[in-house]
Amino acid sequence: MPQVTANQQELHYQLLGEGGEGDTPCVFAHGLLVDNLSSWYFGAAPVVATKRRALCYDLRGHGLSAHAPEGYDVATCAADLVALLDALELEVVDLAGQSYGALIALRVALEHPERVRRLILCEAPLPPSRLEEMAGVLRADPAELLAMLPDSLREAFTSGKRRAVKAAQRLERLLTQTTLVSDLQAEGDHSDEVLASVQQPTLLLYGEASSCRGVGDRLEQAIPDARLVTLDGGHYLAAERAAEVGRHIQEFLDG
Amino acid sequence: MTTLTTISNLIHEVIGEDWDLEEEITLDTTFSEDLELESIEFVSLAEKMQAAFGEDVDFVSWLSEKELDEVIDLKVGDVVEFIDACRK
Repeated sequence: MPQVTANQQELHYQLLGEGGEGDTPCVFAHGLLVDNLSSWYFGAAPVVATKRRALCYDLRGHGLSAHAPEGYDVATCAADLVALLDALELEVVDLAGQSYGALIALRVALEHPERVRRLILCEAPLPPSRLEEMAGVLRADPAELLAMLPDSLREAFTSGKRRAVKAAQRLERLLTQTTLVSDLQAEGDHSDEVLASVQQPTLLLYGEASSCRGVGDRLEQAIPDARLVTLDGGHYLAAERAAEVGRHIQEFLDG
Repeated sequence: MTTLTTISNLIHEVIGEDWDLEEEITLDTTFSEDLELESIEFVSLAEKMQAAFGEDVDFVSWLSEKELDEVIDLKVGDVVEFIDACRK
């Protein structure tokens, strides 16, 4: 299992594809709590990896990365990502993020414009605390959070068998034994002025049925070189519409 | 060692201490329903299979062509068939 120490965290990652000489790798950041790198790894990443290297990683405290009691604010998670790029000697990358992962990618693009060629924001919720799907999180209520999941994802937490028990334990730990909930509550919005300073060509992917669908319109207006694509789906788009998301990202990176 | 035996051993490694010794892995065993494999464990299994069977077996690309419900319904036999076809 490939792991690297980045920003004093043990982070698990998976690198797919060979890439050619001089290719720009695409790095994928997943969403909070119920997500880990597998939604990209078994979704869009292998599609993208047919032409370039695709790097998926587990956020701190998620998937097979080490448990972390704190540091779930976007700034710290963005510092983790930059440290991961440094550790793997990836100088310039394309960045793709789903939900909270999109906020992390956006932050890295704003703070380190020289290191990010293109940006893909899938279901970026701004501010994250307003996202209906997060309402259960802010009340630290796992049941409410799970009720908002699409059927295909919810089953993994609620069957009562081995897998569901493990997933529920992990969710419980993140909600009750870390600062994740308060970090998320404290997370602010970006002003339109800040969004106007995004230099990268940006692809915005949103689900028609998602509660943060309107954020897509706002970002398309505010980010100078942004294109919005809406897909038939909800907030958990990278997992729900994996193949389509992969195709859109591939076309965007090729263009 | 047959492909099935190799995959069974790798599944044992991934599931580790949770392993139920009563349960024997056959071609009809499903990853989701029978083995209760988590998606992140599937990532570990894919990595181990890649290492065991070599670069000719691009398990992740194969999976990426499937819809989510097809992946959920996958049987060990589907993977054995795929790997054996790659190695012919």
